[in-house]
Amino acid sequence: MRECSDSVPVARRVALSRRRFLAASVGAAFIAVGSAFAVVRCRGYAPRRRRDLVALAVWEAVVIEHAARRIVAPDDAGDASVPSADDVDVVGLVDVWVSRLPAHLRRDLGRFLAYLEHVAPLGVGVFSRFTRLAAAEQDRVLGSLEMSSSDLLRAGFDGLRLLVFLGYYRDPRTFGILGYDGPLVGRPPGGWSPSR
Amino acid sequence: MTGVLVSGTTLPDGARLDVDAVVVGTGAGGSVMLRELARAGLNVVGFEEGDCPSPGEFDQREENMLPRLFQDAGGRSTEDMAIRVLQGRGVGGSTVHNTNLCKRAPDAVLDIWERRHGVVGAGPRELQAAFERIERELSVTEIAPELRNANNEVLRRGCEALGWRGGPLRHNRVGCLQSGFCELGCAYNAKQNAVKVMVPDALDAGARVYTDTEVMRLIFAGQGIGGVEAIAREAGQRPRRLSVRSRVVVLAASAVGSAALALRSALPDPHGILGHGFRLHPGAIVAGRFDHDIAGWRGIPQSYECTEHLDYAEGSDRRVWIVPAFAHPIGAASSLTGFGASHMTSMRAYPKLAVLSAMVHDETSGQVRVGRGGRPIVRYVMNDSDRAQLARGLAACARLMLAAGAKEVTIPAIPSRRIGTIAELDALDMSFVGPHRIPMTAVHPMGGMPMGEDPRRSVVRSTGEHHQVRGLFVADGSLFPTSLGGPPQITIYALALHLARHVVERAG
Repeated sequence: MRECSDSVPVARRVALSRRRFLAASVGAAFIAVGSAFAVVRCRGYAPRRRRDLVALAVWEAVVIEHAARRIVAPDDAGDASVPSADDVDVVGLVDVWVSRLPAHLRRDLGRFLAYLEHVAPLGVGVFSRFTRLAAAEQDRVLGSLEMSSSDLLRAGFDGLRLLVFLGYYRDPRTFGILGYDGPLVGRPPGGWSPSR
Repeated sequence: MTGVLVSGTTLPDGARLDVDAVVVGTGAGGSVMLRELARAGLNVVGFEEGDCPSPGEFDQREENMLPRLFQDAGGRSTEDMAIRVLQGRGVGGSTVHNTNLCKRAPDAVLDIWERRHGVVGAGPRELQAAFERIERELSVTEIAPELRNANNEVLRRGCEALGWRGGPLRHNRVGCLQSGFCELGCAYNAKQNAVKVMVPDALDAGARVYTDTEVMRLIFAGQGIGGVEAIAREAGQRPRRLSVRSRVVVLAASAVGSAALALRSALPDPHGILGHGFRLHPGAIVAGRFDHDIAGWRGIPQSYECTEHLDYAEGSDRRVWIVPAFAHPIGAASSLTGFGASHMTSMRAYPKLAVLSAMVHDETSGQVRVGRGGRPIVRYVMNDSDRAQLARGLAACARLMLAAGAKEVTIPAIPSRRIGTIAELDALDMSFVGPHRIPMTAVHPMGGMPMGEDPRRSVVRSTGEHHQVRGLFVADGSLFPTSLGGPPQITIYALALHLARHVVERAG
């Protein structure tokens, strides 16, 4: 009985060790593959303009750069009077703006950008980073977020949209699109009449 | 004695102050309290989390003013991110960026506070004198018809065409140039607001105001308040820790800020009501495209109201207040749904757009909580009744637009609803209206530390003093036991004035 009872724990130890070994191996493999995947997926970001970023990581700036080009894409591509997101440096403003946000909002933005870059394309059947997609596919990805059944994703998209609009419509070069005459401060007297 | 208004970073790290009273926040409620306490001869100090920009710094640019004048750089929202919550930051609080609407708390609402919520001594008759004095001090007048801009004219025309109840609003501005940039701070110093009217009087009477200073914690002493701990921060400066001993502390840091400070200080709350009963007046917009220029960004933003769907009686199913709500380009762009080419096409119609807002006199009871690091979290899940009211309000806005001659009306939603005729509007299923389906904004946070005589249902007494902690008072929108149904600034000013004598008595 003693032998028997002694042998059981030994057998268990062996079985347990084997199971643990297998689990550890699978876990390690997952981590290795995941890390390699993350390294591959998080490299190769080159912003259009070299700059010293205040708050955004380089990859975040690139994702915003791509998203901004689509969010404020001109309705008439041939209209040279419409500045592009790059022309008005949307990313530059967003970077400064984000630096003024509380930490929890900065963290939320980073998470959403990571989702947009790496996960959202899968939702429209594309296995690629958002920033490597063609414009039409990027539109599909953004459209899927805008129409998402997830309140959180729609809210995230709305937040990104707001940041891009901040960066774009603050620039006086965009006022012409709107027929907007801009701030009165600093204008010569008589430039605008309150009577309409 | 003349007071001072300086950054808290001018004080040495570890400074200890010993005063008669502390006022946390310098908006409508805090500024009145500061003044009244200083005039009573008390040694009073005020703390303001933001700074004190001068009118010369208001450059009418959204990208510069939003982070300067609003909490979280204008990025504050409810916890589920369904409703954007715009709250002021800096000396003067929300009175710096508001559109100057001056409307007293309706008698019916004050009656409900008395009958249902046990508020004593703050009914229409008791507040009459305070309302009158505040309106006189802030130069409140009715906005003349000739000052009504085209966007407000749309609302008036719509009301008249439909035979709906409407009328001019009252405001507190003197020397207004009608620039239309009220929500970015008045560059012409025409707003008769807390920072222009109340704070200078408070300083003249000897109050000291420290900006860039956030009160982190209330300190208790036995059954009473003992003071506060604060941190002064300014860019490029080392944070200064301050501690203040005082037998009276007045919370006037807004419905979100006051409750959050109380919660992170573990204020006694035997009945679990602190932070509850929070209201927002959630609102959404409808845009109408006209065949002529509206240029709604010019002129006084809100000078006319429609009250056809607003009845303050208890249990009313008409709880929507309609006012014009035009925005400058960034605000307008974010209000219109969509992106890319279709969005830009919508934006090209900007000069011809009129915009109306439906704001719900809400029954939803939200909650202020604190998260990691003591930051405020606003939990607010709109109930079905309020959703129905908002849907009713947006349909009413669309009807007003069409009656006023709009060629097409858009309800920004996902996807947008475009309506060209009354028949199309009548056929429209409005069940899509709700959080996350339409962009919603709230500018009137209220409640969370309601007043009343029953400690099981209210956080503070009708005098504004906490039920359990002697010497701790509240003097901002947190006091409201229910939604107000209109702009709260005048009621907050008046309540603070009305309650100040109790604070003076306690501190004296």
